[in-house]
Amino acid sequence: MQDSWRLITTWGTTPEFNMGLDEALLLEGDQPTLRLYTWSPDALSLGWFQKTSEVSGIGSASSTVRRLTGGGAIHHEGELTFSLCCPQTHPLYRGPVGPSYARIHGAVILALRQIGLPARLRGEGSLTSDDPASGMCFHHSTPLDVEWNGRKGVGSAQRRKGGRVLHHGSIKVTSTPLEGNIATFEQATESHTAQSFAPLLLDHMRQHLGMHLIPGVPSPEERERAAELGARYTTDEWVHQR
Amino acid sequence: MRPDDRRYATSHEWAKIDGDSVIVGITDFAVDELCNGNEGDLVYCDLPEVGRLVEAGETFGEIESVKAVSDLQAPISGEIVEINPVIEDHLQVLAEDTWGKGWMVRIKATAPNIDHMLDAASYEEHIAAPH
Repeated sequence: MQDSWRLITTWGTTPEFNMGLDEALLLEGDQPTLRLYTWSPDALSLGWFQKTSEVSGIGSASSTVRRLTGGGAIHHEGELTFSLCCPQTHPLYRGPVGPSYARIHGAVILALRQIGLPARLRGEGSLTSDDPASGMCFHHSTPLDVEWNGRKGVGSAQRRKGGRVLHHGSIKVTSTPLEGNIATFEQATESHTAQSFAPLLLDHMRQHLGMHLIPGVPSPEERERAAELGARYTTDEWVHQR
Repeated sequence: MRPDDRRYATSHEWAKIDGDSVIVGITDFAVDELCNGNEGDLVYCDLPEVGRLVEAGETFGEIESVKAVSDLQAPISGEIVEINPVIEDHLQVLAEDTWGKGWMVRIKATAPNIDHMLDAASYEEHIAAPH
């Protein structure tokens, strides 16, 4: 039996739409959905439990949101963002959380290696991009993050709610002043943008994860729900709740 | 075999009648899914304030491990009358003493009925079943 996933790609969508649609798909969905997206304008996203006082760069991006997922702050610019939403019983997400990261990041690693980046799971040890004083996600690494050349280049996080899971992550193409000293595509053997890299990633998700990807779009109901949910992501009440 | 003095939710909370209230925690299965044996991977737990009213099935808090934030669902409706003070300073108690000191909240319900939840044997079947 094929493992069918709806594929939704959106380029240059707003922070409110990006977060609102991820949440809408977490809350309900009659099919597993994979999204690839970029952000316009750029945005700084805080982790769910993160205190605003921990993020010195607040106010430096065009927009600020608080994610549903944990971890540190991310500056969403110059990156390819992916998200997966499905039931927790899906074979890719069933069981302990850790191995589910290894599965998804495994496909990402293969795509990165295809463009000449020596990507791998961090495993034990630390990275030169680690900075305990920084509130940024890419300055804090864990064994299941993806690194190349000693720096973190892919980070992701999950929210599990009502028997469903949202897993979203950032693949860094370029860095920004808020996220200096991280891994990027700079040393890749072929030049790529987020949009041009996307097909390579999808190929490896098909091959490595056995996904059957069916291009689609959000339904009118999903769009409406995403708009309703997304509107609160940039409000002071939501961002500064901690 | 998990304790048979309480009931279990398919979302992996447990509930135990204690007088006129119900004590709620999460199962070892839930803890293991979050941290896969690494107790240090449990990072934070956000519990509700005393006095908050919750509906059955409503999220009453969240727990964060290194790689996931998971919602905690109330098994019954009622008022949060007590939260476990140990959890804030020692989250690892959820793994160390899941069924005792690792309780999370006490809910006072008009009728503390947990018969709709799974008994221990049914919960074992639930987590063992291929989905």
